[in-house]
Amino acid sequence: MASISDLLFEMTEWLRTTSVLDLSLWIDSTQARNWLQENFFAIPLMQTAHILTIALTFFSVVLVYMRVLGLSGMSRTMPETMKRYSSTIWWGLLVLILTGIGMIVGEPVRELVNPIFWIKMGMVIVLILLSALYYGAIRRQMVDWDRASSHLALRASGFGLIVLWCLIMAGGRWIAYAPV
Amino acid sequence: MFSSTIWQSLEMSPVGDYIAASTWAFPTLETIHVIALVTVFGSIAMMDLRLLGLVSKNTPVTAVSRETLPFTWTAFVLALITGSLLFVSKASYYMVNPYFLTKMGLIALAGINMAVLHTGAWKTVMNWDVGNAIPTSVKVAAGLSLVFWILVLFCGRVIGFTLGIYVPA
Repeated sequence: MASISDLLFEMTEWLRTTSVLDLSLWIDSTQARNWLQENFFAIPLMQTAHILTIALTFFSVVLVYMRVLGLSGMSRTMPETMKRYSSTIWWGLLVLILTGIGMIVGEPVRELVNPIFWIKMGMVIVLILLSALYYGAIRRQMVDWDRASSHLALRASGFGLIVLWCLIMAGGRWIAYAPV
Repeated sequence: MFSSTIWQSLEMSPVGDYIAASTWAFPTLETIHVIALVTVFGSIAMMDLRLLGLVSKNTPVTAVSRETLPFTWTAFVLALITGSLLFVSKASYYMVNPYFLTKMGLIALAGINMAVLHTGAWKTVMNWDVGNAIPTSVKVAAGLSLVFWILVLFCGRVIGFTLGIYVPA
């Protein structure tokens, strides 16, 4: 455990030597950041919007995965399931990025000069790429979904997607506890 | 004061002391709490939005309920366990925090709202299971549920910003 802390400390020290520090200090001096800091409820409200959007997006991902597994949602065909949830997932990701930017503006140094923030951002990029591949693969197979084979690869990789979502949520919480 | 002694003795219990003293326990429990709460709200919101007639209009209400309810209850139990453990570690601080007390009140209101719906209008669900002819009383309950749970999440977030402001006497 101590070695993980040491590694995170080293990452923070390295971040301090990069232009990320200048960027975060510049954001720190903007009017937008001052407004967010001066209004006590602004940051909690933005965080609440972020969490609400995670809830709707993540649960849509879960429900599509349940349909992939054949465990629930069987009253809809796979095309109907995708039509119902894919817009929530992609619009949700967009709102998450926007509220996330708002949170960075509100607390730039705490977020940007923070190794867990960058680990989380790395996972978010992987999530977006894997989601595009995953839902693209479902779309290609969805017409004959219930008559086709067992979709073993999509069943297995869907679990990985859910785990990645949970790791990203964990990253979001641990930003507050990074040894910076 | 007697009541504050109860909360302080909870904090000093082996479980409370361990969670407060450990570097990893509190954030780990908080992480599980957040994932559980996100699942609780996500599943409840899907159901409420269907009851409001805003989404999934062609899917029977009972089908949406079957899809979401197991997640709601499982995640709620997980949130309750992790929330109780978090509470024990700083009980006296939470008990003087108005946002924590409001959050608990809102969860109780959300529970009463759900109980009223299920013991009342839900009994006629087969009459409005398909389509969008949902009784006004059900739509009001769904709207209230959304408001209560959004406020629960908001209060939960504000607690983190105010633990240092409201301190036990």
